[in-house]
Amino acid sequence: MSNQAPIKLIPRNVAALRRGQNQNEGVRLVPGNPVSTRLESGVGNCFPGLECDLRNLERRFFPFLEVDIQDAEISVVSVDIAGVRDSVSNGQMPSDMASIYQQVNSGVSSGRRWRVETMQGIFGPLGVQTLTIADLRLPSAGADRLPPDAWTAIRLLTEGTAVQLTLQQGNTRRILSGNRMRYLDDNGALAKMFLPGELTQSLCSPWTHDFRDCGCFYWASNHPDIALPLLPTPAPNIPEINSYVPWERADRTLNTLPSPATIEDPDELSYYEINSKWQTLNFVLEGRETVAPYLQGKFTAEKFASLAELEKNLQYAAGVELAVIHEYLAAAYSLKVTGLPAAIANDVIAARAELMRIAYGEMRHVRAANDVLRALAGNAPFFPALRVALRVPDVRPGSLRPVLPRPADPPTIQSFIDLESPSVSVDGLYASILATLEDLGTDEMEQTVRSVMADGESHFETFSFIKEWLGRHDPQVYLRSSTLTAPPAGNALHQKLQQEYRDLLESLFSGYTLGIPTGAPAINAARNAMLGASGLDGAAEAVADAGFLVAFDAISDPRFTPVDHP
Amino acid sequence: MIMPSPAIPGDPAAPIFKIFGSGMGRHLLIVPHSRIFDLPLDLAGNDDMAGLPASLLAALAESANGEVPLYQTAEPSPQSISLNVSSSCNLSCTYCYAARGSFEGAQPQPMPWEVACTAIDALLRNADPRSPITVGFLGGEPFVNRPLIHRAVAYAAGEGSKRGLDVRFSVTTNGTLLREDDIDLLRGHRFAVTISIDGGEDVQNQQRPAPTGKHSYDLVYKATRPLLADPGLAQVAARSTVSRADLNLVRRFEAILSLGFPEIGFAPLRAAKPGGDALQDEDWPKYLNAIVEVAKSELKRAHEGDSIRLTNFAVALKQLYRGASSPYPCGAGGGYFSVAANGDWYACHRAIGSSPYRLGSNQGLDPEKRREFLVKRHVHSQPACRQCWARYLCSGGCHQEASHRTDSSCGFIRGWLEFCLGAYCELAERKPEFFSAKASA
Repeated sequence: MSNQAPIKLIPRNVAALRRGQNQNEGVRLVPGNPVSTRLESGVGNCFPGLECDLRNLERRFFPFLEVDIQDAEISVVSVDIAGVRDSVSNGQMPSDMASIYQQVNSGVSSGRRWRVETMQGIFGPLGVQTLTIADLRLPSAGADRLPPDAWTAIRLLTEGTAVQLTLQQGNTRRILSGNRMRYLDDNGALAKMFLPGELTQSLCSPWTHDFRDCGCFYWASNHPDIALPLLPTPAPNIPEINSYVPWERADRTLNTLPSPATIEDPDELSYYEINSKWQTLNFVLEGRETVAPYLQGKFTAEKFASLAELEKNLQYAAGVELAVIHEYLAAAYSLKVTGLPAAIANDVIAARAELMRIAYGEMRHVRAANDVLRALAGNAPFFPALRVALRVPDVRPGSLRPVLPRPADPPTIQSFIDLESPSVSVDGLYASILATLEDLGTDEMEQTVRSVMADGESHFETFSFIKEWLGRHDPQVYLRSSTLTAPPAGNALHQKLQQEYRDLLESLFSGYTLGIPTGAPAINAARNAMLGASGLDGAAEAVADAGFLVAFDAISDPRFTPVDHP
Repeated sequence: MIMPSPAIPGDPAAPIFKIFGSGMGRHLLIVPHSRIFDLPLDLAGNDDMAGLPASLLAALAESANGEVPLYQTAEPSPQSISLNVSSSCNLSCTYCYAARGSFEGAQPQPMPWEVACTAIDALLRNADPRSPITVGFLGGEPFVNRPLIHRAVAYAAGEGSKRGLDVRFSVTTNGTLLREDDIDLLRGHRFAVTISIDGGEDVQNQQRPAPTGKHSYDLVYKATRPLLADPGLAQVAARSTVSRADLNLVRRFEAILSLGFPEIGFAPLRAAKPGGDALQDEDWPKYLNAIVEVAKSELKRAHEGDSIRLTNFAVALKQLYRGASSPYPCGAGGGYFSVAANGDWYACHRAIGSSPYRLGSNQGLDPEKRREFLVKRHVHSQPACRQCWARYLCSGGCHQEASHRTDSSCGFIRGWLEFCLGAYCELAERKPEFFSAKASA
């Protein structure tokens, strides 16, 4: 071992950064916050304290201005004067307009406050209005109602439409015209005008006192309430080390196992203590508290040998998603919806809702696999992958098992857990796809597949919960029957279900073939066809109500005919 | 599609790093994959190791995810070809490698349309449709065979558009024969136009004489003026061949700029007939000083937010930013082929008629011969290059000129790269937007 102090090398070009980011070949496990902390899986709302504060978007609703928004006041905090200059030199802004921006800028820079006195524009359902901002207040009701506050008013402005502001500073008034800004670019990414950190700048943080004012423990969701405990040294071989403990517990003693999170009213740090001792809270990586340097686990996914092989496996992956939907739907509809004893009703309703949510989620994965395939095809003709897999990956590496729709009894739920478990089964298939895309694909394709893999992690977790909820009860009580079988071929309800399913696939095929945006109406039609009494949901419910298992027949049309592992 | 190709191991004793300096301090170049790091100001140790543990250096030298290992040979589908459309030229430059397009008798006739058409079809059929595809025109002077260029551009653009391909064009011309319809053609397509002009009036007329008794300087000035004033979609650059007779690059650079060229690249003359003006060992240090002098004033412009007009320098900086690193100096026999007038495919346009470079024809490539060529031309196969720290930046230099390599000419390459490395670090620190603008361009 060398006693030398660590040497800090500062990367100076792209290749140096690349080396730093990729220590190991193949796909890496990325430690850190769980998938539930991703923006899209968060409890997004418009108030601070969660993942992001969407109100910050409106701070840049008008070209070249950044504003502060109070209930009945909008004031300018900065002017993008470089942007104004560029716009003038491109011939997009007349110089008299630029001089107004200049004037506002010099006022703001020297501490004078420019307010928006009136705002004219198209306020969504409230139509064209000229609002005096100081007059906005609750209640907002009735035929000629106004927005209740300045922020709502801005939020109602239709993107891209003309807006006119009267700016006021003392007795001086100036009028600026521009279009309501777009917050997202054509790729759905946040517009460049937003600076890193801007959307989270108003969130509560445990090391500030903000959350105190919320009157609750209003954690951003990347702060866990519970975590697996620090492993004592040496780690005892007892089940408690795998039970959750309160993360913000008051007792910070090292090397003893904290009390479990299940006890009533655990002794936790007070607001004041969290403010003053936030640094004693442990890092949580992969669900467990840690105070030692993290040692990265790694696994190397095998890459496919060629683009053709990658494409075949993506087609198969889409088929696997469709196949598991068959199994998840059969399980979901096998659960009773009525006549459940009160003591178990909530568990069963939750299990069924989660099964349905995961089945819908798999439809997104079908789309994701098709999106990647379409992008890989480039300009070549694209044939959507909508053929159901005959067999799906099994928990044993390299082995496959047949697709078997069956009621949601304990072995079935366990097989779902196996199917979604990290690093094996379906996750293993996507890991190889991802590894290959690192050579042959684009960042966007990789992100798409990463997002599918992250969902798989979340599905795995959810099936574990379902196992826990249903595991408390006798299957005879919550299943319609443990011996459900598919209806006979001629059964009218079954035929109706097959037709609904076939229509759904037809719409998807046509939407995927056309691509976005042309195919969007067909994809929307497919979505709508899944829901409601007259849709796939209603048809499946009818089959289940008649005492049968919800199952889907193989289709002989070459577009949808079953596909086997490549 | 990249096919599995042979691996050529490097020399285990070859240096894997190089310490260099800039106005900001000392820096580390990791030779494989051209990774550049700033070294801490207080780092102990001498220049040989700079206090860096060997294990760290070795780890940094490993290929990262997505990087093609440097021992690998690559056999991609050809992505660009040049068509040697003409076998003659209206100028008689003293140093011409192509003997005015005839290649000493190897290419006696201009290219017929059927050959061009078949070559373009083969290119479009096999190239990776996701990347740009380039059709280039060379000669002789390509515009001697004007009708073929017009027809080939219309055909390739039309076929490309039918198949949704990004087809681009390039031409290297002496510029003297350009007519209005030629200029319209160049303006209307994404053409990289390289005009060979060596300097001001005296240098140009001396190095690039027009046999008719006219002055080539006047001809090129008159014919290129409308294109330079309005290039349309074309990107025009000047290429100046530097002979030992005149190493005053500042004067050449300014003279060519004054004609309205936005970019200029210098190419030192390495190979010439006996008694010719190729640079000799004693000339290389002077040449290095001369090009660094031009580059320094361009670097100053870049620090002030202006463009760099010396293409040798601009390209080097851009490649250092990306960490360009390759065992081959060019695409010859890899992504690039040059089609002779008779339809034979050569690895390089300078090698028309040379059997070891003939790797196929319009009917297809000879995979074994191609592989043999790529193995032989890999920098790890060059005894003189295997131990050099600049081996993945210079990659041995032009295959055609390799036999003229000397310690002195290699000293120039290393000196130039060391200057570029330092300039890169200074510019990346003080004007990072120079590179982000380049990257997005």
